[in-house]
Amino acid sequence: MKATIEIGIVVSTSGSYGAIGQAICAGAELAIAEVNADPEARVSLLPRLVDPGGVTAAYADAVQELLTSSGITQVLGCYTSSSRKEVLPLFEKHDALLWYPSHYEGFETSDNVIYTGAAPNQHVIPLARHLLDNHGNRGWFVGSNYVWAWENNRILRESLMETGGTILGERYFPVGETDLGALVAQIVQDRPDFVFNTLIGESCYEFLRLLRAEAIASGLDQPNQLPVASCSLSEAELPLIGDAAAGHLSSSVYFSTIDSPENARFTAQWDGRHRHLGRASADGEAAYIAVHLLAMAVANAGSTCLSEVRAAARGLRFAAPQGLVTVDPDNLHCSMRPRIGKSTADGTFEILREESSPVRPDPYLVWASAKQKDGRLGPDHLRSVS
Amino acid sequence: MKAAVKTNFRGMRALVVLGNDSNRFVLASVLGKLGLDVQLLDPHDAGVPTALQRCDVVLLDADVNLEMLAEPDALPDVPCIALIGIETPSQLTRVVRQGCISHILKPVRSSGVFTALLLAVNEHEKRRKIAREMAVLRQRLAGRREVMAAVLTLMVAEGLDQDAAYERLRVDAMNRRMPIEELAREYLARDARAQGGSRRPQIKADDTAKKRCTNRRLRQ
Repeated sequence: MKATIEIGIVVSTSGSYGAIGQAICAGAELAIAEVNADPEARVSLLPRLVDPGGVTAAYADAVQELLTSSGITQVLGCYTSSSRKEVLPLFEKHDALLWYPSHYEGFETSDNVIYTGAAPNQHVIPLARHLLDNHGNRGWFVGSNYVWAWENNRILRESLMETGGTILGERYFPVGETDLGALVAQIVQDRPDFVFNTLIGESCYEFLRLLRAEAIASGLDQPNQLPVASCSLSEAELPLIGDAAAGHLSSSVYFSTIDSPENARFTAQWDGRHRHLGRASADGEAAYIAVHLLAMAVANAGSTCLSEVRAAARGLRFAAPQGLVTVDPDNLHCSMRPRIGKSTADGTFEILREESSPVRPDPYLVWASAKQKDGRLGPDHLRSVS
Repeated sequence: MKAAVKTNFRGMRALVVLGNDSNRFVLASVLGKLGLDVQLLDPHDAGVPTALQRCDVVLLDADVNLEMLAEPDALPDVPCIALIGIETPSQLTRVVRQGCISHILKPVRSSGVFTALLLAVNEHEKRRKIAREMAVLRQRLAGRREVMAAVLTLMVAEGLDQDAAYERLRVDAMNRRMPIEELAREYLARDARAQGGSRRPQIKADDTAKKRCTNRRLRQ
């Protein structure tokens, strides 16, 4: 007889970054279905879904409700860092565990969070190296006005400064802003080696459309002459961009085009049930990993008590679609393989480079830098696959 | 130019002087993740004074009144972070006297440690820079008396006016690439010897004479 565990899922499936939220939910659903159908699994999962609609303050209410009224201790949720910071004190207060399924900018470790997305040394640093190696060191930075953009831009800015590069422009916009005509005109006029894009949601899609149109009007081949790079662009978003979706760089630990038996099984299920959301994506896969790890940790702990589940999660390994993922016993982030992809017209990414093996998470960037001398994380570690 | 803010503390030696409780556990865990080498000591451990001389940052339990630390200069010249539980004026006064420049409230959470460390390390660096600048200015100020004396001697000896005498000293100091205060001291010492007397060139009215020994050239 399997024990049934109720878990909370607090994800914005509506609002300005709703597309990502839907992908996170889709990944979680696939994993829940697998766990519940697996006769070997010792637990089955019963999800309680809440949609805060992309409103930061609504996350706290949703989490408060789940942790107090419903007695839930295991929650999958949040995408933006501002929403995670909003709910973190509640998890500490109520001895609950947040499974956070997204890459983020780092500089946090909490004993109440398991981070199943990439840490900054697994996405920004590899992207900085790729840009410096292949595109030059004159950048234009554009982002949504919150911590994700500020911190990623700082990391890339310092990498550029170390190599004598320049930043031609740096602008931030409110989340959801789409009035970006003057911005793209300026960027096309400045002709940087690359644009570093930390816009999220609708702002990002509109920016890519407008920049492509402006570049074409100026006789430029935007993907080659004015490449846009990001640490968050995913398969879930490509269908929303339209004609301008192809040719953009993205740094991620997962792309739907990874060639492995685990990924073939994952993408087949995804395409069967969630094809309307675009192809499988990093955030969907991170949620899928989080739910599987959660089920394994709860089963191993034999309880949903915070300290026991956390102890069981340390060092836990899972053969994920992206390859082997290990929960770091020390900082509760995951060891993962950084990759650089380029978007294609069919809504996927062509993988340009990937690490030869999983890289340990370094959330405070103590060890990693774009000009790495340390062999473990150094440039030689990132090999070309095409 | 603005000085770069230090954000990476890899390899720094942190000394945590705190009883063995959950706060110490959390602190050690976060400091370790930040790349520091952590030494943990109970406040009453006899090894504290020695350990203090071998660390780059101190995190000190402000709730324990250590008499040893009340002595002036008991703490080394490193950033000091107070770990505060009791917020009474008596405790906090001690925190100020000990020169703590940042703090972490108990119970210690993983959030806040990085901030406290970053503020302490960078503020300490800024204070050291100011102290260095102040030492230089103090030395120059102390030397003004000798510059005046040298100007006067020159005026009498060579029949120059005040501006010309000062200009002579200034040009001479520039040519020899030394501070004008040092040159003035040298000049006065030479003048004193020339007069063959045991007369000291300085007027011993205050502590400026004592500071002469800090001057390398004078000691020869």
